[in-house]
Amino acid sequence: MKLWFLCIASLLVSLTVKAAPMGFKDSWMTMSDFSKTYRELTVNYALTPRDAIGVTSTYMQTNNQSQSQLNNELTYTRLVKRWNMPDAQANIWFIGGVGETTGNYFNGAKATVSPGMQADYETTRLYASANARIYVADGITNHVVSTRTGFSFYEANYEETQPWLIVEIRKMSMVSSQYEVTPMIRLIHNRFFVEAGANLQGQPRLSFMYVF
Amino acid sequence: MKKTLIAILLAVFLSPAFAVTSMKATVNGMVCAFCAQGIEKRISKMPATKAVYVDLKKKIVVVEPKDGMALDQKAIIEEVKDAGYDIVKVESISKSVAELKAELVTNK
Repeated sequence: MKLWFLCIASLLVSLTVKAAPMGFKDSWMTMSDFSKTYRELTVNYALTPRDAIGVTSTYMQTNNQSQSQLNNELTYTRLVKRWNMPDAQANIWFIGGVGETTGNYFNGAKATVSPGMQADYETTRLYASANARIYVADGITNHVVSTRTGFSFYEANYEETQPWLIVEIRKMSMVSSQYEVTPMIRLIHNRFFVEAGANLQGQPRLSFMYVF
Repeated sequence: MKKTLIAILLAVFLSPAFAVTSMKATVNGMVCAFCAQGIEKRISKMPATKAVYVDLKKKIVVVEPKDGMALDQKAIIEEVKDAGYDIVKVESISKSVAELKAELVTNK
């Protein structure tokens, strides 16, 4: 019972949750996320409709900047399961990385692996997602978990800009033991996906995705 | 005489016999413009495609063929699958993409 609860909780709580973390077959996708405590830059290529490989650089630091860590990884993204419904889509993703980590609170560069899962559900008006990812290196274990929920102000068509209000709750163990709550405005227009907001401490946040 | 000729030509060329036959597909899972980019991009690259129209509200994709060319329905269905979606219904309609877009503007 406890194990089931933890499994469900880990899916409902998640990492840097985006829209789909990869594009369509043969497409490139760039993703970035910038805030005071977390910065990420990813580029991946969709080899198949379900598999993408890429590179990711992730930088995390504590609020007082006393500790920081940089991960550079090769990543693999897998669409584990997709449900295409008449008015909705739901997905389960695996996102994993292998690479190197450096930081100012341990010596040298260490090999790191970072498996993670993402689940999302979306209609033209509602969005919910959850993500969990763990970063493991010799003597170091960090995790990032987050959830996002939100709604669109109106139903937009394909060529129109669609604004959303999204609220993210995130916890990054390397950064803080506190949950970070960030309301954001999301704008989707064709191949552009932008989110901008600020957490409840007033720290700005900007994320961007583009598929080509 | 001139007016009569123009009227006859208009009647002939605007008759259903000369209308474009496009493929209309109803697609499940198509809820986000950002994620549906693949449908437009992949089908647009097909040799017989003149224009593609994606309607998120009606969950349809309309593909118009180039003049004198036939659409490969099977290949289009595969492209939509590769873009990550499922086609649940395919129909032929006597409308061009331009006409559909004009209707959308009129109905707003």
